[in-house]
Amino acid sequence: MKSLKSILSFVIPLTFMLMTFFLFSFTIKVVNDYKQNIENDYSIIIVAKSPILKDSINHMIDIKIKYLKLLPQKEILSNIKDSISRESIKMLQQKLPYFYELNLQRYPTISELNNIKNKILTLKNIKKIEIFSKNHNKIFLLLTILEKVMYIIFITVLIYSIIIISQQIQIWFYENSKKLSIMNFHGASIIYSSYSVIMYGFIASLVSFLIISALVITFEYNLLLIFPVELQSIIKVEFSLKYEIIKLAFLSFFISFITIFGVLLKYKLKND
Amino acid sequence: MIKAKNIYLSYDKDKFIIKKCSLEIKDKEFIFIGGNSGSGKSTFIKSLYGEIPLKYGELTIDGYSMKNILSSNLKKIRRNIGIIFQDYKLINEWTVEENIMLPLKINGYSNYVSKKQALNLLSHVKLIHHKESKPNQLSGGEQQRVAVARALAHNPKLIIADEPTGNLDDYSSEVVWNLLKGANEQLGITIVVVTHRVPKNFGINFRQLCIEDSMIYEVS
Repeated sequence: MKSLKSILSFVIPLTFMLMTFFLFSFTIKVVNDYKQNIENDYSIIIVAKSPILKDSINHMIDIKIKYLKLLPQKEILSNIKDSISRESIKMLQQKLPYFYELNLQRYPTISELNNIKNKILTLKNIKKIEIFSKNHNKIFLLLTILEKVMYIIFITVLIYSIIIISQQIQIWFYENSKKLSIMNFHGASIIYSSYSVIMYGFIASLVSFLIISALVITFEYNLLLIFPVELQSIIKVEFSLKYEIIKLAFLSFFISFITIFGVLLKYKLKND
Repeated sequence: MIKAKNIYLSYDKDKFIIKKCSLEIKDKEFIFIGGNSGSGKSTFIKSLYGEIPLKYGELTIDGYSMKNILSSNLKKIRRNIGIIFQDYKLINEWTVEENIMLPLKINGYSNYVSKKQALNLLSHVKLIHHKESKPNQLSGGEQQRVAVARALAHNPKLIIADEPTGNLDDYSSEVVWNLLKGANEQLGITIVVVTHRVPKNFGINFRQLCIEDSMIYEVS
């Protein structure tokens, strides 16, 4: 009963932390999928009097440029060639400005787009900038907020869990202190002496991992029940079960062993 | 085996328990250390296995200097020492057999060899019927016999015993003394024993030291 209680003191914070990590990871995936979907739902067309370089704009704006593509004049002229004379086309060809399509490395908000527009317009050779975009702003901002909130919650829970887990490990060391000192008198290494504490940590990590795996599998099977079907048309609510379980297994054992060895190092420095 | 030159031992800065003591204990010797309560007998033997750090002087155990000794070297020394404590220091969560196997496992012996040696020693100390018992189920005398068996298990070069018969009846005391004599005579193990009373008619050669006024004297 006592050892079950002490294992639970390790399992509960670890499971809670893994759950938060899973929700954080799930949110990130949904947001990234959505970002990818809307990535091409905007277009920035720059009209310039003379050729412009990617680098000359890159340093002016906050979001990095993915590409700056010169739109071929032939295509523009071919659209209007039937309605005007050949002489006019020749004249137009000489006087036609340079058209560029600008694409950014991430989806910009409306205010960011306006900011980019204003900054580029300060260049002397820029005649005009046209922005064509569908309005994803509200959903995008909401998802970004959700992503940030989940990140803060995860970090908070991670720190809190590590503190509780390390305290539990210290309790285990205290409970085993007589045994540890006897082993120490016989020249046992710190790893050998702490074998039972390491085993406790291993069992607790395994239990946490099994609990969280069961929860994640249940979550995956009930995604359509948890989230309304209409949501699927806006964002892709899905994740790779295998990949998530591997990540959770790694995190469960990694956090446990890092904490155990941290406490072990503290114990070694104190006792050696 | 043990060389001490002008050693000083203390628990705090101001008061030295052992002052400017020198002595030499050769291989295969049997040493009794006597003295009044609080004279520093236990402090001295604790310094032999590094529980009390050396303040000043030079102390060498089996070729290793105990001055600012590295943790790894201290572990090596301890693996070659068998320690018998007055309060036995047995692990109550483990069986008697597992307790005896401890130094063997620490020294890297296989489970099979460790178990065989533990059973052999349990027969010697006449506790084979208690191999599955937990130490706290045994009497004081029986626990001390287990502690002696554990100290002998890995055939150490040196056995240090702090009042090994202090809490024992005559029968258990005799068993313990016979085991230590056997270890010294037959296995050539150096033995250092702190005791209030040296047994009469001990039957083997021994040297007797006495700690008084923070100094170690040879008793002629």
